[in-house]
Amino acid sequence: MPATPSYDAIVVGAGPAGTTAALAMAQKGLRVLLLERGESPGSKNMFGGMLAACAAPEELIPGFWKQAPWERHVVKRVLTVVGEGSSTSVVHQSDAADREPYAGFTLYRPVFDRWYAERARDAGVTLLCSCLVEGLVLRDGRVGGVRVARPQGVIEAPLVVACDGVTSLLAKEAGLHAGFTPHQLALGVRALFRLTEDEVDDRLGLSGLQGATNEFLGCTDGVRGGGFVYSQVDTLSVGVVAHLDSLTQKRIPPYDLLARFVASPWVAPLLKGARLAEYSAHLLPEGGIAMVPRLSAAGLLVAGDAAALCYTNGLTFEGMNLAMTSGKLAAETAIEALASGDTSAAGLASYEQRLRESYVIRDLKTWARAVDFMRRDQLFSAYPRMVGELMERVYRSDGQPKRRIGRHGLDVARESLPLRQLVRDGIAAGRSFL
Amino acid sequence: MIVDDLFDLTSFRVHREAHIRLDYERCRPCDHRACTFTCPARCYEWSQERSRVEFAYEACLECGTCLTVCDKDALDWHYPVGGFGVRFSR
Repeated sequence: MPATPSYDAIVVGAGPAGTTAALAMAQKGLRVLLLERGESPGSKNMFGGMLAACAAPEELIPGFWKQAPWERHVVKRVLTVVGEGSSTSVVHQSDAADREPYAGFTLYRPVFDRWYAERARDAGVTLLCSCLVEGLVLRDGRVGGVRVARPQGVIEAPLVVACDGVTSLLAKEAGLHAGFTPHQLALGVRALFRLTEDEVDDRLGLSGLQGATNEFLGCTDGVRGGGFVYSQVDTLSVGVVAHLDSLTQKRIPPYDLLARFVASPWVAPLLKGARLAEYSAHLLPEGGIAMVPRLSAAGLLVAGDAAALCYTNGLTFEGMNLAMTSGKLAAETAIEALASGDTSAAGLASYEQRLRESYVIRDLKTWARAVDFMRRDQLFSAYPRMVGELMERVYRSDGQPKRRIGRHGLDVARESLPLRQLVRDGIAAGRSFL
Repeated sequence: MIVDDLFDLTSFRVHREAHIRLDYERCRPCDHRACTFTCPARCYEWSQERSRVEFAYEACLECGTCLTVCDKDALDWHYPVGGFGVRFSR
């Protein structure tokens, strides 16, 4: 006789998506089991970035953004284009971003994820850490639970929410996708450097827990990708993100790219006297909307990185907010489906509709062309060099008659790339961003 | 910072059994050996002496890069047993 499942839903992975889903379901009285393979939530996660404040967790926990253990609120965004021996930056700093409610935060995932999962436990979620889900229970054409490396072996439930991260092994097992490929993924490596709070303030021009994000283009030896420096209270996250297919083509190890970036004149002065504290790596889904798998099957919903809900358009980098929002929408779908007793494929199909109506899929669609645009090698080599060369000429004062900026621009462009290429890239840029 | 410094700072709880296994027979015909230079933890190394890719799992950061770049289906790839493997603190 089959045992009665003692949980209404099993959530796999206590990251931002999974914890949000578990919390939202528990608040509606469902019995939820949240499984995490790390010894504590966040211990397998790294993050060098800015989390954009989003409504999802605030709707579940009023005052969320006031309580959550973030590091600095971001007031300053810097984009630096690295050329041949030069760099050119655009700095955006905003008073509005310095007032509550803050718009973006830097944080440590092992700290943030752990705190957030505790809030889910407060709401009644059963959190089980150090528990690896080895696969799904597939029976009669539907998902009916998970297999774990524990004495009981199998945990059954009418619904599984897979928030198992970028490798997305559960969605793959369920046949929702065929496995992500190198051209859909980027590899991020990060070194964490310890300074004092004052040193971080002084070096980045900040005060009173203000934070800065710094992105660098053209610093990756022609590999498609970029560098970053993010400020926590008394540390800097310094890293490189590289498209996996480009890294494979160029045959440059990611830690070598990182070491060169750290030693570069644009980064080294920030790190003077800093102590290296930790090294980490993680994959990022960067294939845009085309990479998003089917999002549900009978008895299964997929959210967060596992559903490839993550993107960059070259200026903004979003993932955690999309993960939390998708987790909440998965929970809303689950609550309805479990109440009606229909967790079939048809019963869960409204999840995709909810995502399509939300900013999650809409943003991915908005930037669909930008994702393709960012796959042009010259954006990471020829164009950054052109910017550097142009600015050199604009600022040069050497006793020769000056030319107008537009003239310099045309000269530099013609010297760098064939006209046809420039026109093609220009049109593509327009279609991607305008 | 020199590259070697990076690898001494991350904390692990190493399980006695490898969570990823390399099938040397399937690996042998590979001509790009992308794992040897894309793995961020230097877990894969070409051994001239044994003329094969050598793999050590202990310093694995569990990112999934090798699983993605290997096109010879040479990896039996799993996450470590729950509670084992890399432990990021920040």
